[in-house]
Amino acid sequence: MAANNVLGIIFSNANDEVIPELTALRTMGSIPFAGRYRLIDFPLSNMVNAGISKVGVITKSNYRSLMDHIGSGKAWDLSRKREGMTILPPYNLPGTGMIKGKADALYNSINYIEKSGKDHVLLTDCNVICNMDYEALYKAHVANDADVTVAYAKGIPPRMEANTEIIMDENSRVTDTKILDCYSSDVNYSLKVMIIRRTLLERLLHEAHSSKIDDFETIICNNVKHIRIYGYEVTGFIKVIGSLQSYYDISLELLKLENRKELFTADRPVYTKVRDEVPAFYGIGASVKNSLIADGCRIEGEVENSILFRGVTVAKGAKIKNSIVMQGSFIGENSTLDCVIIDKAAVLKPNKMLCGASNYPVYIGKGIVI
Amino acid sequence: MAVKPECIAMLLAGGQGSRLGILTKNIAKPAVPYGGKYRIIDFPLSNCVNSGIYTVGVLTQYQPLELNDYIGNGQPWDLDRANGGVHILSPYQQIKGTEWYKGTANAIYQNINFIERYDPEYVLILSGDHIYKMDYAKMLDYHKEKNADCTIAMLEVPWEEASRFGLMIVNDDGSISEFEEKPKNPRSNKASMGVYIFNWKKLRQYLIEDEAKEGSGNDFGHDVIPAMHNDGQRMFAYQFDGYWKDVGTINSLWDANLDLLNPKVDLDLNDDSWRIYSRSPAAPPHYIGENAKVENSMVTEGCEIGGNIDFSVLFANVTVEEGAEVKYSIVMPGTVIKKGAVVQYSIVAENAVIEEGAVVGESPENMANVEDWGVAVIGNGVTIGKGAKVEPQAMIDSDIGGAE
Repeated sequence: MAANNVLGIIFSNANDEVIPELTALRTMGSIPFAGRYRLIDFPLSNMVNAGISKVGVITKSNYRSLMDHIGSGKAWDLSRKREGMTILPPYNLPGTGMIKGKADALYNSINYIEKSGKDHVLLTDCNVICNMDYEALYKAHVANDADVTVAYAKGIPPRMEANTEIIMDENSRVTDTKILDCYSSDVNYSLKVMIIRRTLLERLLHEAHSSKIDDFETIICNNVKHIRIYGYEVTGFIKVIGSLQSYYDISLELLKLENRKELFTADRPVYTKVRDEVPAFYGIGASVKNSLIADGCRIEGEVENSILFRGVTVAKGAKIKNSIVMQGSFIGENSTLDCVIIDKAAVLKPNKMLCGASNYPVYIGKGIVI
Repeated sequence: MAVKPECIAMLLAGGQGSRLGILTKNIAKPAVPYGGKYRIIDFPLSNCVNSGIYTVGVLTQYQPLELNDYIGNGQPWDLDRANGGVHILSPYQQIKGTEWYKGTANAIYQNINFIERYDPEYVLILSGDHIYKMDYAKMLDYHKEKNADCTIAMLEVPWEEASRFGLMIVNDDGSISEFEEKPKNPRSNKASMGVYIFNWKKLRQYLIEDEAKEGSGNDFGHDVIPAMHNDGQRMFAYQFDGYWKDVGTINSLWDANLDLLNPKVDLDLNDDSWRIYSRSPAAPPHYIGENAKVENSMVTEGCEIGGNIDFSVLFANVTVEEGAEVKYSIVMPGTVIKKGAVVQYSIVAENAVIEEGAVVGESPENMANVEDWGVAVIGNGVTIGKGAKVEPQAMIDSDIGGAE
């Protein structure tokens, strides 16, 4: 396949700080999403669907849940003798200490990158929800004879620190970049997905290491005049998770058929760890409207405008509205939830009520019993 | 060979299941979908791995393509192993000629070399036709405790149904005194489940003798087991309590699926300690629409439900449009049921299309003569045209045009 000459690198911890609630116990990449996925499933599946067969997953902290989820990479067909997936845990070179930014993390894995023998490297974060055609991105990269190709979207950018606007000439060649401070008008903002020539990446990393620059984006931006950087526009369902609020909003946007159709396509499926749950069971008197329900759920109450992950129990008389309930949680009889995000394996005992607001969802932590 | 397995399983999966009609036109019976995300063969395969048996030979013969593809390297069952694992065993050409598997015993006979490679103490013989959860390790313990040559799993069936089964008359110590094959007037209600454990050396000897016997049907139930019994070998019955169903007919397949919706039925597929594994498609959670109503049903990944679902089992990627109704039915993967269509008391196979306003099946209460009632079956990939009607008991194998 075309993109077989590309090494994939995923930053599983990038932007952890934007959702402290969900990343307290896990990496950005292992945040549960859309009923049965983890965020890393999207970039990993995008890579596999593009024919990328060597993938390194860079980890920094709290990555046990991530390792549990991706295991040997079997679910993505990345458990292989040749190539396949490798977890790249933090590595303390003498005198460097804990890795800080992305440049540092990449520098830590520079041997892995060199030894891959691939001509190009695709770098991505985990908080971009998109079924992106990396093969098309790669083809554009090659067609432009680019050093770097940055995927961007047009629109109002997500509210996040260090969002980069890219400015291009008529041939999509990037002429300038700037850090965004305005979130009201349409701009071309970087999706933090880029393909870079491997030898150039190595050179930039050595330079960054000696000049002690941590931030990889800064390095690229600083070199905009010297290297051939191109933009590649991505359209369709693209969402960047930048806060608990946006996690909530983006999740519920999947209740719209057109969004699901763009994210879950038959020719580019999204793979995830298989849990062999039984199909969801609906009891007599169950009432479910406009909701996404995963396998293993048992529903005897009411569910509306919500997302239930695998193995959630909704007892008789319980009412769940506008909420996200993660794997294995239990909602007791006659309890009510409205605008709530419940993390894994939490228990809401009978006759309890929890309400947030659609612009301020309440978050209940993992394993909490109420 | 690194570790010699004590017991290996041989799973007989070559049967056509002719009483399932068009459902087994292109697939072997063990590959028939069941329970929303499983196929029948998932049950014996999952039972094997949950019982600690990691070497399984699957004997295929009839329409093996889909079954072979489904089993693949055995990964969903953790049977992709360096030592042992799952092996598909098809009939093959030999120097003395080409032979199909003539009977259940002959199928094992033809694979003596496979079993010898593992040189096990015991061989477990299974069939790929039944829905049940069983710990074969316990049965093996019993077999060893009784110092048996052959142990046959049995279960007590209702007396009125006993005459449909191979029955055993069992002594107090569990040894078998007599066999009766589908007798008119049963003297026992202890039915064989078609699950056997043999001491391999003994079985090997009897398979070779049976093969040499003129006129033998080369069948375990009819030939090998009676021969062992006549020779006074130690034959024991192992009692199984729990859910067990032969899904050999359309009605029993339909029943067995709806059993999953009945809380009184003792078949928990959500048991963490005894998971049933399957190969599942990569599909998102299912979506229930604004105007849908789903009650007392099972629905799985990839479904898009806009209509009403009641007492039904829906497989992956089924679409039920708004205003459509599905009642007391089994709908297999990828099927689309369009606006205003009604599917009731039916089994709809994979990737069928039920066009707008079509009516498939009928409730037994609305029949003038209940004798004429039966589950309607729509075959793989069949389209039922707009407004068309499919009678109960019908088996539809090719497209039906619209009513206009």
